[in-house]
Amino acid sequence: MSSIHSAVSPLAPTQPVEIKGKSLWDHAWIRLKRDRMAIICFSIIVFYATVALLAKMGLIATPWSDVVGASYQAPSSGDMRLWLGTDIFGRSVFYKVIHGTRIAMSVGLVTAVIAVPVGVVFGAVAGYFGGWIDEVIVWFYTTLSSIPNIMLLLAIAYSLGKGITAIYISLIATSWIGMARIMRGEFIKHKNREYVIAADSLGASNFSKIFKHILPNVSHFIILNFSIQFISAIKAEVILSFLGLGVQGEPSWGVMIDDAKLELARGVWWQLAGATTAMFFVVLAFNILGDSLRDALDPKIK
Amino acid sequence: MTIGRILTGFSLTLALVFAGACTKASKDSSNTLYAYSIAKIKGLDPAFSDDLYSGAEVARVYDTLLQYHYLKRPYVLEPSLAEALPEISKDGKTYTFKLKKGVLFQDDAAFEKTQGKGRELVAEDFIYSFKRLANPKLNSPMWWILDGKIAGLNEWRATQAKAEKVDYDVPVSGLKAVDSHTLQVVLTQPSYQFIYNIAMPAASAVAREVVEKYGPEFLNHPVGTGAFKVAEYNPASKIIYVKNPTFRKEVYPSEGAAGDQEKGLLADAGKTLPLVDKIVMTVYTESQPQWLTFMKGELDYSSIPKDSFNQALTPQKELQPELKKQGVALHSSPQLDITHFSFNMTDPVVGKNKYLRQAISLAMDNDKQIELFYNGRAISAQGPIPPGLSGYDEKLVNPYKGHNIEKAKELMKKAGYPDGKGLAPLEYVTISDSTTRQMTEFYQKEMAEIGVQVKVQTYSWPEFQQSVKNKKGQVWSYAWGADYPDAENFLQLFYSKNASPGPNDSNYNNPEFDKLYEKALTLPDGPERTALYQKMVALVVEDTPWVFGVHRLLFGLTHRWMKNYKPHEFHGMSKYYAIDTALRK
Amino acid sequence: MFVFLVRRIVGSIPVIFGVALVVFVLFNIVGGDPALQMVGKHATAQQIADIRREYGLDQPLFVQFFNYLKEILTFEFGRSYATRQKISDMILNGIGPSLSLAVPAFLVTTVLAVSIGLVVSYFRGKLIDRATVLLCVVGISIPSLGYILFGQYILAYKMNLFPISGFDYSWSGRIEYLVLPAIVWILLSVGYDVRFYRTALLEETSQDYVRTARAKGLSEPRIFFKHVLKNSMVPIVTNVILEIPLLILGAFLLESFFGIPGIGSITIDAIHNSDLPVIKAMATMTSLLYIFGNIMTDVVYTLVDPRVKLK
Repeated sequence: MSSIHSAVSPLAPTQPVEIKGKSLWDHAWIRLKRDRMAIICFSIIVFYATVALLAKMGLIATPWSDVVGASYQAPSSGDMRLWLGTDIFGRSVFYKVIHGTRIAMSVGLVTAVIAVPVGVVFGAVAGYFGGWIDEVIVWFYTTLSSIPNIMLLLAIAYSLGKGITAIYISLIATSWIGMARIMRGEFIKHKNREYVIAADSLGASNFSKIFKHILPNVSHFIILNFSIQFISAIKAEVILSFLGLGVQGEPSWGVMIDDAKLELARGVWWQLAGATTAMFFVVLAFNILGDSLRDALDPKIK
Repeated sequence: MTIGRILTGFSLTLALVFAGACTKASKDSSNTLYAYSIAKIKGLDPAFSDDLYSGAEVARVYDTLLQYHYLKRPYVLEPSLAEALPEISKDGKTYTFKLKKGVLFQDDAAFEKTQGKGRELVAEDFIYSFKRLANPKLNSPMWWILDGKIAGLNEWRATQAKAEKVDYDVPVSGLKAVDSHTLQVVLTQPSYQFIYNIAMPAASAVAREVVEKYGPEFLNHPVGTGAFKVAEYNPASKIIYVKNPTFRKEVYPSEGAAGDQEKGLLADAGKTLPLVDKIVMTVYTESQPQWLTFMKGELDYSSIPKDSFNQALTPQKELQPELKKQGVALHSSPQLDITHFSFNMTDPVVGKNKYLRQAISLAMDNDKQIELFYNGRAISAQGPIPPGLSGYDEKLVNPYKGHNIEKAKELMKKAGYPDGKGLAPLEYVTISDSTTRQMTEFYQKEMAEIGVQVKVQTYSWPEFQQSVKNKKGQVWSYAWGADYPDAENFLQLFYSKNASPGPNDSNYNNPEFDKLYEKALTLPDGPERTALYQKMVALVVEDTPWVFGVHRLLFGLTHRWMKNYKPHEFHGMSKYYAIDTALRK
Repeated sequence: MFVFLVRRIVGSIPVIFGVALVVFVLFNIVGGDPALQMVGKHATAQQIADIRREYGLDQPLFVQFFNYLKEILTFEFGRSYATRQKISDMILNGIGPSLSLAVPAFLVTTVLAVSIGLVVSYFRGKLIDRATVLLCVVGISIPSLGYILFGQYILAYKMNLFPISGFDYSWSGRIEYLVLPAIVWILLSVGYDVRFYRTALLEETSQDYVRTARAKGLSEPRIFFKHVLKNSMVPIVTNVILEIPLLILGAFLLESFFGIPGIGSITIDAIHNSDLPVIKAMATMTSLLYIFGNIMTDVVYTLVDPRVKLK
């Protein structure tokens, strides 16, 4: 194995987790339940998800595009729609923040839900089978990761012609690599473990060895990676919007922050404050929850 | 790596950081102008000065035969490197320019015969400079200013395109040096725009030995005859100019427009130019930092970015009191420009349906747009010609403007799309920057009012151009700034022979318009030509290939120590600016 | 060692080829006809054709790709379409500003992060540890544009501590202009790094030999500084080394927003302008640096950890 390919993950335990999948998770669950911080963070995420869902169904903050006041009206109490003031067209910034949640959550979810399984499959196949399959997959992701992320993001977003789909695809295309790396490393470690060899001698197929035997033993990496991907997707959406490749005609946090670039000089800080604060709490919740999960799942760091 | 070493490194860096925090930009007492550009400068080659910003920098170093009078309005030309305005033959085709004597190029190692001392400018230099614009291997984007205008030049270009190497010694019949200081130019046909063309920075005098010495690097080795020469050169961030010690004797004008005397603009009359010793030009690609730097007094003048308007002006559009107290002055003047929507006239839907175009034009709330995006300071455009040019008609009222939803809906019916039914979403192409995005959102809202749905396609600038130049997309918005002060420069945007990839981006094609346009080209400024211009405007207004937007106003702020500032549409004005160094401290 | 290096360098050729292929395909789709860009607003069809011929844009794609591969081999990428400047000069001019921001910011970040990491992992589980970890998480949860915009608005504009943006080639100018972006850089990355180094150190603390040492009754500080620190140098040094080559690339967003004319802002401009020659050069340079960084990491591994052998 040429080690340009070897992923150095500081998070990877040097010793494998030899406990059966189920008990690992039981164990983790008990520990998580005791972690009050994790519970709070989980609630925050559920709250954001609910807000996003309700906004999607048109039950709250509708319609966001209505003019509710003068252009750039400062925040005021009373009318909920004016809590965070208005934007250039006199639309409610508060409503825009809520609808931005919808975009952010869907960008995070779609990216993570697609990128993580793609990464798992590629990483697992590469690590398990080795040989030329491994060489090809590793070549492919090394190539992609040798190109600056932002260059890839922009190029893909430009070539697909903007909008939310372009954002999904460019984020997925760049974010499966991390997962694939970790999975490949784990599968290389695990494939010669006794329990796999035992399964092999019992006549288990490759498919069942990969998915039934090894995967449950490395599943905690998937959960961790999921939360990492979720966060980085939300952040990347902001950066893409800032660079002019954002969602069109819908209020996303990124577009709001991009607007703020022009508005700060006018003393209009509420779009920036609204969008950054909303983003801050959900990212913070994911970060803390991710940490708690890792601690809970990794028996060595207590 | 030991911890100890790391720590030493750490404290060193920290020391640097704090040292930095304490050095605040100190105010300069030297006679220096602090200028800025809002885009990176491509280079200082006149042949590539096709963008506004490079043009402005080129004009500091290079000179043209003619230049615009600094103070007089409307804009008039006066001699610069020429001794006087050209003599024009009766048939209007032969222009004879007498050059000033004793004008020297700035010193440069390329002048080997004179040991690096700049040699005298001669008529041959202009012949070379004009041929250079025509050079088919160089592919200057400014070739259009001479394209088809000078006898024999297009033929020279065609011949050289086939040659292995471009030969500047092959003569061009229309370009002749009668003697060392007399240039004779023969045009293919009379043209009343020619003298404007040669006043553009692209037509500056460059020296052949300099171009040949530096080759493609010439763009980084500017050597002109202008008031300033380059001292420090980083086109992406900062260019420092110093006074050209060999600059010919040129003095500050003693006549101006009405009111200039009162504003103190004639105080320096007769003084030798340039009035500042040094220009520090910094590039700010974001408007906010540029504005904030001006507010701190580290730039001498500034335009007002749209989003900083409230900080500069009161709702009554007067200077904010605290700025007034600091001695900041406000200058405004109408800009020779127009913003507009173009309909793609080759498109089977919008191009073939006049009523649809008129309806969309009527749906736009121009006043609201002016309020939101131009802070109430722009003139609603009724036709393509901006105020300040002959052909502009103050009384013109475009019947398809004015946010009349009722009438627009009627026209939608006439167009065959009552309430937008049956009309597929229009493909609106636009570029990706923040202000454009906000404007697009605004247009979307406006069109939705009459049931026109819009599909927005955002592109990078090159892709946008590609889409427009290849006649793709249905609607887009654009702006046009005058290349020279003649309404012809705006009307050519509807001439069918200028269709994409040329500047007629809507691909408007009306034989009647073409005929009028061709006729107007043969006429000098005067009532006859103005009448033709107005006829052309009427045609364009009725056909609505554009939704006319606004003519912007140019706003400038200057600090109390900056003197002689007057907003000017064209380049090369920094030699007139003066700094009161005592006040800057 | 020599054989190893040769093998690795040869092994990286397919990756460079892959990068070339991806960049070429993507940016030819993204495109925007460079000829249209160069010819300006008063274009004629004749001029466009002339430019396409002059720049070889009328040749079939595979010929253009082949030319690109040749450019990689000779390291000669020609001139930018947008600025007409020589790309090698653009890069050379950009490295200085990029490094003047990246090197100090990186050093301060690393030193800060390693020191904090050491302190908190020594006091693991105590209040100071938990507070620091929380602070780090809070820090990395603030969006980067929030740091940049609020930094410019509050520190530079309202409090007038620094210039808002810009760059000056003089040394004092560099310091003056780069302090604020450097602070933002440090704030942005120190949280990640502290977490990383803390994990690496704790990783080591949970090794068997530490338990053995404890059982033998060695004092905590002795275990920590003598053994744990020494062994955890591997991931720490690896992380540091791996980041060094990438410093040349600067920070895309920071450079763009603070008007620093470095490699990062050149690249962003090039992408916005579809400036293919510059993009090709930058992509090639990055992939080379990346590969170089990887090889360096492996070499450093053997130097700091005798347990690792190069194959």
